[in-house]
Amino acid sequence: MNPDSRLEKYAELVVGLGANVQPGQEVFILPNVGHRDLARALARASYKAGASYVHTLYGDSHIRKAMIELGPDEALSHSPEWLKTFFKSMDGNAMIATTGDPEPELLGDLDGERVARAIPLEIVQIRMQQIGENTVAWCGVGAPTEAWAQQVFGEPDVEKLWEKVAFCMRLDEPDPVAAWREHLARLRERGAALDALKPDAIRYRGPGTDLTVGLLPNARWFSGSGFTKAGIEYVANMPTEEVFTTPDCRRAEGTIRSTMPLALAGQIVRGLEFTLKDGRIVNVEAETGADLIRGQLATLENADRLGELALVTGDSRVGQSGTFFYDTLFDENATCHIAYGFGFPFVFDGEPPAEGLNVAQTHVDFMVGGPDLEVDVLLADGTAVPVIRNEEWQLA
Amino acid sequence: MTPADLIERYAELAVRIGANVQPGQEVFVYGMPEHADLVRALTRQSYRAGASYVHAIYNDQHVRRAMLEFGPDSALTYAPEWQKTLTSGMTGNALLGTTGNPEPELLADLDGERVGRAFQVEIAEIRRKQHYENTVNWCGIGAPNPGWAKQVLGEPDVERLWELVATCFRLDEDDPVAAWEAHLDRLDARGKALTDLRPDALHYRGPGTDLTVGLLPSAKWGSAGFKTAGGIRYVANMPTEEIFTTPDSRRAEGTIRSTMPLSLAGQLIRGLEFTFEDGRIVNVDAESGADIVRTQLATVENTDRLGELALVTGESRVGQTKTLYYNTLFDENATCHIAYGAGLEYAFDGEPDEGMNVSNLHVDFMVGGPELEVDALLADGTVVPLIRDEVWQLT
Repeated sequence: MNPDSRLEKYAELVVGLGANVQPGQEVFILPNVGHRDLARALARASYKAGASYVHTLYGDSHIRKAMIELGPDEALSHSPEWLKTFFKSMDGNAMIATTGDPEPELLGDLDGERVARAIPLEIVQIRMQQIGENTVAWCGVGAPTEAWAQQVFGEPDVEKLWEKVAFCMRLDEPDPVAAWREHLARLRERGAALDALKPDAIRYRGPGTDLTVGLLPNARWFSGSGFTKAGIEYVANMPTEEVFTTPDCRRAEGTIRSTMPLALAGQIVRGLEFTLKDGRIVNVEAETGADLIRGQLATLENADRLGELALVTGDSRVGQSGTFFYDTLFDENATCHIAYGFGFPFVFDGEPPAEGLNVAQTHVDFMVGGPDLEVDVLLADGTAVPVIRNEEWQLA
Repeated sequence: MTPADLIERYAELAVRIGANVQPGQEVFVYGMPEHADLVRALTRQSYRAGASYVHAIYNDQHVRRAMLEFGPDSALTYAPEWQKTLTSGMTGNALLGTTGNPEPELLADLDGERVGRAFQVEIAEIRRKQHYENTVNWCGIGAPNPGWAKQVLGEPDVERLWELVATCFRLDEDDPVAAWEAHLDRLDARGKALTDLRPDALHYRGPGTDLTVGLLPSAKWGSAGFKTAGGIRYVANMPTEEIFTTPDSRRAEGTIRSTMPLSLAGQLIRGLEFTFEDGRIVNVDAESGADIVRTQLATVENTDRLGELALVTGESRVGQTKTLYYNTLFDENATCHIAYGAGLEYAFDGEPDEGMNVSNLHVDFMVGGPELEVDALLADGTVVPLIRDEVWQLT
């Protein structure tokens, strides 16, 4: 496939299946300024899908760096009025964000505490409300860049990265949309099988890991595609290989060791280990970047409780690509992961519970899966049912 | 000097002398994605100057092209609520804009009528009010990039373009800030001499050109060195070599031929010629791009009247670089120019004269050159030469 037609096909898949842009909708594209080829292809594909208007708002980590390094304290958490209007306007419309930081370690030499504080809080609240009420059909996708390729392969081979990304996105299939629909159906069946067991808790065991996390009775296991309040089906992350839920944030005991580096706020956190007690993270260790995590946990209320559990097996396209992408969107789909921070109100049958669902201003996924990880669900009567062994799904 | 140093010094001059960012002000930086290096340097320098927050906005003309090519009609003039809020937020704050089109002919193959119609009236209204009330200290500067360098130099020699731009910017002076202050004083003295003469009209003569334009008694001649309503000095364009005023939009008779190509809405207009009667453009000819100009004149009210007259002489730094920049910010400072569309409210001390043109567009085109003669016509019929052989004639 020549690079130009691959880019257009990729954008078409993201617009058509991912954000599922409807005629007459406005589309909000949030790319990094280093992703302009993809941003432009997404704008074209959106208009071709009938968008009434495409808003493209480029982000730039260098601008953020200047603010953190040279700006006053008040700037760090400032949410400009126009930006609030921008995000609020996404209600009822479609949004596409790109990831693949062209300079993932750009903020690495900055004060971790200040980096952690640099969050536009009101914007985050608007997005959380939209996610909770499910008013936006959205999709996050990767945008290969030279710097990203450099980080992944040790050389700026952006073509090779594109091939990996295209493989994860099933663009090699004769009919990528049909392949995606089949894949999404398979993930839905896994979620249904877990729901049918009505598990009370989940247990993770592996090197450095022995953690039991409580589950909430009316929380369902979700996967790939969801529906907006208005009934538009969308795939929030592409690629996606996970089934996930929101745990009881009051019940988590034990230790968990991350099995992959985590790219966070312009730094790389390596060898992350948490100890949890009564649902709270009571100790953080890491080879690098521990300060950044500690800063987040100390600054943002309830960031020290869990918000998501996600299960991924060895047949994952991302896992099969054999590539560590240094990008959560991809790496969280290579293997099982857990997030600290806010839970998802939309996973519940009926109203979310008054207690047990974590509310916080951040949500950070970290990877815990690998060949040695064993995952069981524990039923109310104490029975342990194996869910994952040797990276294979154990439930029918 | 490494290019990174040069960009940083360039940005510092634009922030300090140009927009003159004040401690505690918010700064709005507008650029293209291809200008990211300069946008970032402007952001750093703004924070160093004490900005409370820097909003960096990238406008992508490929996204605009997608809209023009594939979007519905309603998209062409749509002004999103957030863009209105963003633009309004500039009141009382500072603005830096970068120009230098990486792909100047990107929109050239599109329907000229549609390109001409794609205009956000509501945003322009907000900006017009800010101009009128002079509430924003702002500065427009050039951002060298490979595409622009290729157009100017025939090859994508960005480093060479940076040198030229730095020369126009007086960065080769030992003390660029002092050099700029002396330069602005010189332009202001010219403006004062011409204002004091109280001319009734200007007369332009040259090949293809014989145009008389009426002047307004209360309109002054001045340089691009301004003061906001709040008293902040700023230089709206860098480089700037012009003195200018707003003419009487009811009085213009004759013909005028543009002496340089004009880069407009992604197309190049070459060989532009206008005929005026009773202040209105009654005929437009051009070797290329006439459609865009005709559509603008037909669609946007009062664009067919004049809004600005500007005089530039041969010692212009831009003129001396002997380079056509295909960029109005630079080329309008190489030589004399005229604009059709909106007049300049700030050319008046008090309320603007009713003869000032009101429009939502303002397009400069170049008319100067070695053969252009400019005279001031006084009310008593006296003819006072202003420019001959690109040399200023008034003391």
